[in-house]
Amino acid sequence: MGLVKRYWAGFWSLVVGLRVTGGHMLRRRVTLYYPHEKPDTAQWGGPIELVTFPETQTHDCIGCKACERICPSDCIDVEGKRPEGAKKMRATKFILDFSTCSLCGLCVDVCPTDTLQYSTRYDEAMYTRDATRNDLLRPYGEDPLFSGKAL
Amino acid sequence: MLAGLRAWLAGFVGPFVATWLLGAVLLMTFLAFNVLFLVWLERKVSAHIQRRVGPMEVGPHGALQTVADMVKLLGKQLLTPVAADRTVFLLAPLLVFVPTLCVASLIPLSGTEAFADQPYGLLVIVALSGLTVLSIFMAGWASNNKYAVLGGMRSVAQVIAYEIPVLLAALAVVLIAQTTNLRLIVEAQHHTVWYIVLQPVAALLYLIGIVAETNRAPFDIPEAESELVGGFHTEYSGMRFAMFFFAEYTNMLVLSALGATLFLGGWLGPVLPGPVWLLLKSYAIVVFMMWARWTYPRLRFDQLMSLAWKLLIPVALVNLVVTAVLVHGAG
Repeated sequence: MGLVKRYWAGFWSLVVGLRVTGGHMLRRRVTLYYPHEKPDTAQWGGPIELVTFPETQTHDCIGCKACERICPSDCIDVEGKRPEGAKKMRATKFILDFSTCSLCGLCVDVCPTDTLQYSTRYDEAMYTRDATRNDLLRPYGEDPLFSGKAL
Repeated sequence: MLAGLRAWLAGFVGPFVATWLLGAVLLMTFLAFNVLFLVWLERKVSAHIQRRVGPMEVGPHGALQTVADMVKLLGKQLLTPVAADRTVFLLAPLLVFVPTLCVASLIPLSGTEAFADQPYGLLVIVALSGLTVLSIFMAGWASNNKYAVLGGMRSVAQVIAYEIPVLLAALAVVLIAQTTNLRLIVEAQHHTVWYIVLQPVAALLYLIGIVAETNRAPFDIPEAESELVGGFHTEYSGMRFAMFFFAEYTNMLVLSALGATLFLGGWLGPVLPGPVWLLLKSYAIVVFMMWARWTYPRLRFDQLMSLAWKLLIPVALVNLVVTAVLVHGAG
């Protein structure tokens, strides 16, 4: 009797298994059909970028090197100097070596002027190691505070 | 159109060979397309069970993906290991397909159509389907590779063990129908009910048996990827590998068609023509086999053996005896 019970329990577990997989077969897919569908990147934390403030239409990086110091993987390289006649320092160089960045976000937290944020870029793939170096100042072009064409 | 083609061919080679040739070509063509369809179906079923979409890029819903795969396989180099037994190594993939083709030709497509109508059809099928394992073992042995030999040996042990419940299950049907002619078995179901109603145990045994005979998961230990690389076809590449693949999927369909003939009333069904019904029922069994493949983990070898010898064969024997007594009692 015990044997029959055991076999029945085993057989029933097989039926239950089929019901589970069969149920999944009929349900909605959970994968993204990638090249044709893009993911929702609103909450995505990609490589860091500088925040452009609406009132100044530029970033507010003062080259304080706080991010460079706190970075656990030493992937940030910042230089700054004081433009003539200005009170605040201004970044002249902001390089992120994304090949070693672990996206921990310490730099975003530590920034005193809140001018760092995660970007929404998710498809960071490149062919050379050089291409992983992000120049965060490049989108801003020539800095008007240094070239004398101040606002 | 077929009759015209046959008459035209008969002018060259005589009516007998003409029928034979035409039948073989038709069957081969259908089975080739069937394999392409089944591989696609398998990928789709597995994808949907895992909540993916499967191949989508080549053709509508990836329907031409397997054609592309086949073209790729055709272009691959055929490698022969230096230490292999050349003749046997080359012969195995050619022979693996022959028994399946013979079995396919014996299954009645409708009341009047069958490629070969044999009074002892079921016996011939049982005899022939045991031969597939011979070429699998040839492949494993000739490869001169320990994984391949292990895969081949496992396959032999498994098929010998699982042929018996399949045979006993089929025998229960023979007892009820009082004939081994497959056409008459289906006609007997026309007069009574489908034999899955009278023989649910035999139907279940047959289903388990054919999953094991086609070396599919959860009984796929002859080619268990995680243990034996590729099992018996480890050393095969390109089209030779594809032939084994081909044989496996063809075998699936043919044994399912035999199951449909024995238990699900073969070509019987309303509205649609007989062959369509037979195909629909066969594909239903095939889909169930795929569903089972993506549900159950692979059995260990001793579990596999004890399942066959300690459970399936005794149950099949008891079922056979009970059936015999009941049939005798009913007169």
